[in-house]
Amino acid sequence: MRIIIGEGSCGIAAGALKVHKALEKAAEGKNIRIGITGCVGMCFLEPIVDIYDEEKLVKRLVKVSENDAQRIVCAAEKNDYSDIDDLVISKEDEEFLSLQTRIALRNCGITDPTAIDDYQKRGGYKALEKALSMSPEEVIEEIKASGLAGRGGAGFPTWYKWSAARKSESKTKYLICNADEGDPGAFMDRAVIESDPHALIEGMLIGAYAIGAAEMIVYVRAEYPLAIKRLEKAIKDAKEAGFIGENILESGFSCKMRIKSGAGAFVCGEETALIESLEGKRGMPRLKPPFPAQSGFKDEPSNINNVETFANVAWIIANGGKEFSKLGTENSKGTKVFALTGKVRKSGLVEVPMGMTLRDVIYKIGGGIKNGKKFKAVQLGGPSGGCIPEELLDTVIDYKALSETGAIMGSGGMVIMDEDTCMVGMSKFFLDFTAEESCGKCVHCRIGTKRMQEILTRMVNGEGREDDVLLLEELCKAIKDGALCGLGQTAPNPVLTTLKYFREEYDEHIFEHRCRAKECTELLTYSIDAEKCRGCTLCAKKCPAKAIEGEVKKPHIIDKEKCIRCGACSKVCRFGAVVVE
Amino acid sequence: MSKYKSDLSNLDEVFEKIENVPENLITVLQKAQEIYGFLPKDVMYHIGEKLGVKPAKVMGVATFYSQFRLEPMGKYLVMLCGGTACHVSGSEKVAKAVFDYLETESGRTTKDGLFTIEKVACLGCCSLAPVMMINGEAFGNLTPEKAVSILADIRKKEAAE
Amino acid sequence: MEKIKITVNGKEIFGKSGDTVLNIAAENGIEIPNLCHSKELKSFGACGICLAEEEGNKKLIRTCSAEAYDGMIINTETERVKRARSAALELIMSDHEGDCVGPCSLNCPAHTDVQGYLKKIAEGKDSEAVEIIKKKIPIPASIGRICPHPCEANCRRRLVEEPLSIAYLKAFAADKDLESKSPFVPEIEKESGKKVAIIGGGPAGLAAAYRLRIKGHSVTVFDAMPEMGGMLRYGIPEYRLPKAVLKKETDAIEKLGIVFKNNVKIGENEDFENIRKEFDAVLIAIGAWKDAKIGCAGEELDGVFSGIDFLREVNTGKIPEIGKKVAVVGGGNTAMDACRTALRCGAEEVYVIYRRTRAEAPAEDSEIEEAAEEGVTFKFLTNPDEIIGEDGKVKAVKLQVMELGEADSSGRKKPMPVKGKFETVEVDSVITAIGQKCDAKGFGSVELTQKGTVLMNEQNGATNLEGVFAAGDAVNKGASIAIDAVAEGNLAAKAIEAYLCGMPFEAFEHAYSKREVSEKDYFEIVKKPREKMSVKPAGERKKTFDEVINGFSEAQARNEAKRCLECGCHDFGECKLIRYADENRINTGKFKGVKHNIFTERKLISIERDQGKCMLCGLCVRVCEEKIGKGLLGFRGRGFKTAIKPEFEHGFEIEGCANCLECANICPTGALKIIK
Repeated sequence: MRIIIGEGSCGIAAGALKVHKALEKAAEGKNIRIGITGCVGMCFLEPIVDIYDEEKLVKRLVKVSENDAQRIVCAAEKNDYSDIDDLVISKEDEEFLSLQTRIALRNCGITDPTAIDDYQKRGGYKALEKALSMSPEEVIEEIKASGLAGRGGAGFPTWYKWSAARKSESKTKYLICNADEGDPGAFMDRAVIESDPHALIEGMLIGAYAIGAAEMIVYVRAEYPLAIKRLEKAIKDAKEAGFIGENILESGFSCKMRIKSGAGAFVCGEETALIESLEGKRGMPRLKPPFPAQSGFKDEPSNINNVETFANVAWIIANGGKEFSKLGTENSKGTKVFALTGKVRKSGLVEVPMGMTLRDVIYKIGGGIKNGKKFKAVQLGGPSGGCIPEELLDTVIDYKALSETGAIMGSGGMVIMDEDTCMVGMSKFFLDFTAEESCGKCVHCRIGTKRMQEILTRMVNGEGREDDVLLLEELCKAIKDGALCGLGQTAPNPVLTTLKYFREEYDEHIFEHRCRAKECTELLTYSIDAEKCRGCTLCAKKCPAKAIEGEVKKPHIIDKEKCIRCGACSKVCRFGAVVVE
Repeated sequence: MSKYKSDLSNLDEVFEKIENVPENLITVLQKAQEIYGFLPKDVMYHIGEKLGVKPAKVMGVATFYSQFRLEPMGKYLVMLCGGTACHVSGSEKVAKAVFDYLETESGRTTKDGLFTIEKVACLGCCSLAPVMMINGEAFGNLTPEKAVSILADIRKKEAAE
Repeated sequence: MEKIKITVNGKEIFGKSGDTVLNIAAENGIEIPNLCHSKELKSFGACGICLAEEEGNKKLIRTCSAEAYDGMIINTETERVKRARSAALELIMSDHEGDCVGPCSLNCPAHTDVQGYLKKIAEGKDSEAVEIIKKKIPIPASIGRICPHPCEANCRRRLVEEPLSIAYLKAFAADKDLESKSPFVPEIEKESGKKVAIIGGGPAGLAAAYRLRIKGHSVTVFDAMPEMGGMLRYGIPEYRLPKAVLKKETDAIEKLGIVFKNNVKIGENEDFENIRKEFDAVLIAIGAWKDAKIGCAGEELDGVFSGIDFLREVNTGKIPEIGKKVAVVGGGNTAMDACRTALRCGAEEVYVIYRRTRAEAPAEDSEIEEAAEEGVTFKFLTNPDEIIGEDGKVKAVKLQVMELGEADSSGRKKPMPVKGKFETVEVDSVITAIGQKCDAKGFGSVELTQKGTVLMNEQNGATNLEGVFAAGDAVNKGASIAIDAVAEGNLAAKAIEAYLCGMPFEAFEHAYSKREVSEKDYFEIVKKPREKMSVKPAGERKKTFDEVINGFSEAQARNEAKRCLECGCHDFGECKLIRYADENRINTGKFKGVKHNIFTERKLISIERDQGKCMLCGLCVRVCEEKIGKGLLGFRGRGFKTAIKPEFEHGFEIEGCANCLECANICPTGALKIIK
């Protein structure tokens, strides 16, 4: 029997390492092997422990704590699980996975990311072998047939980029993987690298062969130490196995590979900024043209794709582009991975075929909204994307359909918001982010996002001005047209979509000084309902501003001048007497 | 002249392992920060000289990336996640409570040198939102009170030692 | 390189393939605005000004990097491009901390280049100073003496100790120039053959006449009075503005070839329509020569004078019978002129009756002070209730005592009568000076305002009649200070010039950047008090009409001029930013917000950096690196806080900097200044 612990960053954050230690201790001297896998994708159930009989998954245990180790080992030993029934995943939660179609995540949560043979057992590096037997042009044709488009957000056809780089003449071309996943709320790429680094390597090798690259570089976010560690190990193993280096698999094709760690700058997700950063410079985007395919890293032709894009490549070569293109819609083929988070009951990694509706992803897979609250919006594409309201939940996952809503497919962040989320606050959140992450090079972005941030800050503080919405709209248009790079050009999207679908919330903030989500503290007033107040004095004791007065057993009163709107009273009141408006 | 007098020989090994070209500036700065805990000015000058990068460019890079620190770090690096999932789960309030409690702001170190606090884009533990990470260990499902009590515990522990 | 054809704004031009749109356009004489580009350096793309629409491309392109191809169609003037470009300029301005021009000049109605002429005066180059002044004010010796100088009220030096004596320095330079062997004479452009009639030879009319003459037009000035100068000649007393000084200035104007026709009153001895027929354009600048009535009983009595009539009489050499005791009603400058003139006409007891307090009195402080010194009695918070007569002649004035009530719409506290409280002052005469009115009779169908002034379009100085313009006290809101009239005369001249050339004209406000400052911004400036102007003793001066002030000594004037803080930007004339801002008529205040708050000024051997004016175009960084090969400058920080700073090997600038000044020379704004 094997006991496998899910040790992605999420699992580890939830305590997987402690569970691992406890299991090892419990299994000492027993005929049970303890192993690891990457991210299963069910973040809401971490830590997750799987019990395997050879290659067969016998039981999946969830929300495991180190105290459960003893009984888990015992159960596995006896092959009798009645004792740990409480830990076994529910039928309903199993649907989280069973409703998905996994291509990019095909090995995630199954194989051991630190073991190359585990990957090979599941057909790993067979696609590379196949690709090397084809001509580079044939490989590109296969990718073209698949309809694979860039998963980083823009959705540019992958074959087209490859073909352009292929045609650029130079001895030293570069194939670069953009793993600078920076959207707040997105962790798809991290999960792939942590859980299945060889899928990335194999995909990159195929790409490198197709364009004729001499070197592959993975640019990884600095904040992903575990991903870097696992990828380093995988590269070392792949080199030793002869998949990376000189004359790969006797094909005559040679290619080097290395990792470059980013140093904390969101803008480096923009490909020209990424190249600057690779060259050891400030990550300020370059002018296009020239495009990287003509002159990129070290002025050599360079092709840049995102992690998820590469993770699909080996599968496509192995199964044929046609097979991939059977999934999806007219415009968008294959599957897309999302990091489903926010106010959704089941959060985690979701890979679904293109064409599924947002509603199905959120309600069928995600299980709907937490705590019985009402759905308000789903945010796609992070700081470059937008918020989609309830009435558009039947929009299908498709590059064109999503961009028609004003949002974008994005790299895969999918954040669910409920009635307690203020949409003006949400806009401010994203503008805070883009303003902070603006590289400072171009005027429209550097000053424009700052001004938008200032206007939104005014609004949430109840100081919004009558013409602020107009001013915002004007800035949005100008920044979209005038910013130098993608970060700037898309920075207005969160504001534009919320203005489009939630305009009334802006008006309420400006004209009525009201926040319906009760999130903007500056706009709230606290008072005590005299009928409900029992005069227990608890609120008065807890109030840090000493703003509550009253005699014991008599209704208390909040002095609105003194009140700092911290909400402490409302939290401690057992009678629901504090009214927040 | 720099006011720092760092032991520059600590970098020798780095220069041996990594090719001394401008392209490797960020990597070398990262290694240097691992060694010194932050980037002293003389270290940056030295690196620039070795790699053939002008001091103005080294400073430019060191101040561009949020990972680099130009002042010594606290014993505990507290990273407050500001990702979207954390935001919708109330991370702003947690951050405010933490800043108030430590009487400092993002990117700064507390007066006692114990904590360096930093708001980061996304720690990627979205299902645990709101999250903070202290020296690599994640603390999830935070409330303002819970976050402050975690920090208070560390302070107590340190005071006892 | 193959030759290609591209179309920019509908014009076909040729260039080499591989070159950028911006360069090809520039080679063909089409300037696409840009702030971060230089032909010598690699394209950078920061400013977002050189945007254009390319046919077939959904996105706007940056012409500094877009490679041109044969058949490419570019438009840089579409609404979308203009909007994005203006927004970039507005954003830059919202983050630009600096004064394009000093507050002195901004607050001068005529926008005289104060900083410019003060510098010349400080250097002892008075005629050059006058040349600068006369670009705006053709009669500086006169204006310099009597101007209430809003420039001084806004002079930043007041935040150090006291404002500069700007107005009088102007008179000083003008006096010196007039006394010199070769006073400044402006160049007259080629004769245009166009004829302009100016009706009224006061400050507005003279300013317009001067300016139009310089443009080569034939100008005739008609005036109802025997001499030119308008109110300066007939309203302002001799002791403030010696008529000889004014005469020298009007003579100089006449010498430019302007025809002066005095004693001509339109509607009486000259017909307006005849003038319109005879001249290509007409300017009405007749001033406001009628007094407002007090409206109390006894105003018709013998011994009641209108202030303007009284001053005019005195200024024409007649001394009206005012007796020994005189009451002057009003609190403005005319009232001060009247009361002080009354003393000089032999009155022994002079009262100023004003219904508010001294604080509200519109007269200049110095005028009130000097009047008091000369023995004038101020009766604040009183208002004439009745002028009491005897045998048809003034005997006394009954005053209603007033108090201040609530503030009215103008913000001034409204004077209210204190019920039943009166006092009576025995006087021989009463001079009323409570406001001026315009008498615009005789101008045919020219449209008037409700106040009786000529209705003028403030954007272009035009009246309702074709080819007829108006300026000065006679228009719209009515009487104001002389420099306002000069400014309006200048505006009218520009409008007439455009009209004569058949061009549209509209006045516009420059998109100036302005600093907001306080005392603490100047704490390090060494204090150096304002030069004191000596005046004749009150007892002596009140008996004569001699000029009260003694003027500055040469040394005083030079010292005083040197106190100028030079608030205006050294690069103003060459600044690309303000040029584009003006050309695009941007709204500088639109995106007002916090500024990038980096104020350290650091010297690079002989260059001063003003971070407030830096817009991060990176030209200095790139020229130092790409052209000079030094790379001493670099960007620092990220996002809104980004700055450009020098960094030297081991902190020693001398070793690194070649002092080539390329960075300062390439800077498109005034962020880098060469220190000599």
